[in-house]
Amino acid sequence: MTPAIDRGLTGRQPKAVQSALAILEAVARAGAGVTAKEVAEDVGLPPATAYRLLNLLVGEEYLVRLPDLHGFALGRKVAGLTGSPGPAQLSTAVREVIGELRQQVRFGVHLVLYSGPVLRCADVDPDHPLLSTAEVERHLHATAVGKLLLAEQPDWRDVVPPRRLVQFTERTVTRPADLDAELRAVADRGTAVQAGQLHEGVSCAAVPVRTPAGVLVAAIAVTGPGQDEATAAARAGHAIAFADRLGPLLG
Amino acid sequence: MGQRTGPATRRGVPGRLPARSPVAGLRRRGLTFPEVLAQSVSALAPSAAMVVVPSIVLVESGAATLPAFGAATALVLLVGWCLTQFGRRMAAVGGTYSYTAKGLGPVGALAGGWALLVGYAAVAMSALVGASVYLAGVVGLRPTPLVVAALAVPLGLLATLCTVRGIQLSARVALALELLSTVVVLAVLGVLLLAPRGGPGTAAPVVDAGVEWGGVAVGVVLGVTAFMGFESASTLGVEARRPLVAVPRAVLWTPAVAGVLFVAAAAAQVVLLRAAPLDVLTSPVPVAELADRQGLGLLRRVLDLGIAASFFACVTGSTNALGRVLFSMGREGVLPRALGRTHSRFETPYVALGVVLPAVVGVPVVALAAGGGPRAVLTASLTVSAFGYVVAYTLACLAMPAFLRRIGELTPLPAVGGLVAGVGGFLVLVAGMAGASWSGGRTVVAVFLAVMAPGLAWTAWLRRRDPGRLAAVGVYDQATASSVLPGSVRTSR
Repeated sequence: MTPAIDRGLTGRQPKAVQSALAILEAVARAGAGVTAKEVAEDVGLPPATAYRLLNLLVGEEYLVRLPDLHGFALGRKVAGLTGSPGPAQLSTAVREVIGELRQQVRFGVHLVLYSGPVLRCADVDPDHPLLSTAEVERHLHATAVGKLLLAEQPDWRDVVPPRRLVQFTERTVTRPADLDAELRAVADRGTAVQAGQLHEGVSCAAVPVRTPAGVLVAAIAVTGPGQDEATAAARAGHAIAFADRLGPLLG
Repeated sequence: MGQRTGPATRRGVPGRLPARSPVAGLRRRGLTFPEVLAQSVSALAPSAAMVVVPSIVLVESGAATLPAFGAATALVLLVGWCLTQFGRRMAAVGGTYSYTAKGLGPVGALAGGWALLVGYAAVAMSALVGASVYLAGVVGLRPTPLVVAALAVPLGLLATLCTVRGIQLSARVALALELLSTVVVLAVLGVLLLAPRGGPGTAAPVVDAGVEWGGVAVGVVLGVTAFMGFESASTLGVEARRPLVAVPRAVLWTPAVAGVLFVAAAAAQVVLLRAAPLDVLTSPVPVAELADRQGLGLLRRVLDLGIAASFFACVTGSTNALGRVLFSMGREGVLPRALGRTHSRFETPYVALGVVLPAVVGVPVVALAAGGGPRAVLTASLTVSAFGYVVAYTLACLAMPAFLRRIGELTPLPAVGGLVAGVGGFLVLVAGMAGASWSGGRTVVAVFLAVMAPGLAWTAWLRRRDPGRLAAVGVYDQATASSVLPGSVRTSR
């Protein structure tokens, strides 16, 4: 009756770690909808042990229980395990939509792809390059595209631990409570803005690209000079129609 | 079972992941583990139970008081363990109601769910009266029915405001109040133990009375009632951070810690009351009475304040849970849909919480206005709530093996555990009802059955006339398109 499972794994339980990884592999191999019993048979663990580890992995959100409660699928956290992915392969159709938008506005237009809790700058405007692609991909709390991603998470603290809210400028949001409030506003508004929070004098607005099923897969970022939030937000107005066109192409 | 369910589900299930959770609208994933724990602890109100329950058990069980508390703790821990089997697998908002639905289906769930509503509502009423009685004591007023009723209205309003404003605020307030009052109770017991005592008093024959099985059974039942509400963290499936870890942990830790506190408090009171006169033992709060007679009037005031705080936290905790069960039923369409609405800024089920307020405040105020003594109203509503809780727990425990069987994860241990806990719960219910009937509490049993009747009748009506509405019973915070690895599950286009 002791809740051994709740204490999590310690470094002295190599067998449990191996078994947990084997279970992750088994679910990945079998595909979404695999049942606990099938996983236990596949991995060769006693059922009770396998079920306990499955529940542990679900609790940590590496696995997800499907709505019928007996099927499992890989959770969105697994995307974070793959590290930085290789160069993005964007289809010509997607590139054309972005190119069209670039011709219509005088600001930097970038396409960012999301995969679970990971963000990747897939198409950076060659005429108005980002000051630092690496910082945009890493410091989600200080960028518009990052806030869009964080607002989509059940709990942003899973993706960015509060102690990693690095201060870049005076305007960077570094207090967890402030970020909470800001992300709620982002979720309400649907778009995100960053004005001078990553680099002084540069602002950015992000418009989400959602699949027809509503999953956030990408964002169009519009960057430009100045650090006025309203100005930055206004620049994004034009991108909304383009984001709607990208949804079916990326979903 | 694997051969039967495996291939079929693999082809059939994935592909229809919704974009939005059916219980969306509550503030997601905001509560830390201590705040989740606070919900369970506040609904249980340990410090109030620590000073009130042991002496009642002493009168019934005599020398078997400590074993009776031990047995009660073991039974509640077993029930808690059964509930964690659900809690690790689904993030519910309806607590044991939603759990029961996954094992016994909609009819069993609604019976258990209605009982749970009765449990939460009645304990909120009881705690409201308790908070008012002890607050009156703190400010030096005599707790006449009128005074208690007059205090109950603003306290009830304040508690509801707390819950509507946000679960985080009410959880923090509740945890602070409970910590404070538990420390106060422990300190008072410690001071009394250190104070000089005479030889055995007139209460000693009762305290050391021989063991009779009937008395022990009643003692266990009373002991179990002291834990009621420990499972209420299971209504925070949406609001807790890492709910599948935090909720089961809170549901198991709360009775474990409370059990230790209760056994310690009971042991201290056995020692203290052995040396006390009989009328102290039979007084409502013997510990406070003892403090008074030791000439520690200030200690009594502090104790009153602690108990009032504990009761107030219990009002907010029970109301929180009550509102969320109603919210679930509203979302399912079993009760009016409006109950499933959430406040756009506070992200709490404000309609359900608002509907609850008049009942929680109104019923005790009417009972007091009709001439009911505050103590009688307090114990009567507490007894009604205990019946409600035990019915809900029993059904949820019995549902657990059925649920695990349905999802193909049943192993021998949970099968036995669920059965033992279910039978244990049933025996507690029977013994409690019989005990209440013997001791002149027949009205209380009648009241409980009367308040259960509308829920059961409504369930029967739905079952016959509108079975479609029952189909949605058991909503929980299920996986959505954004919770799986992108691309690993097909989402509907």
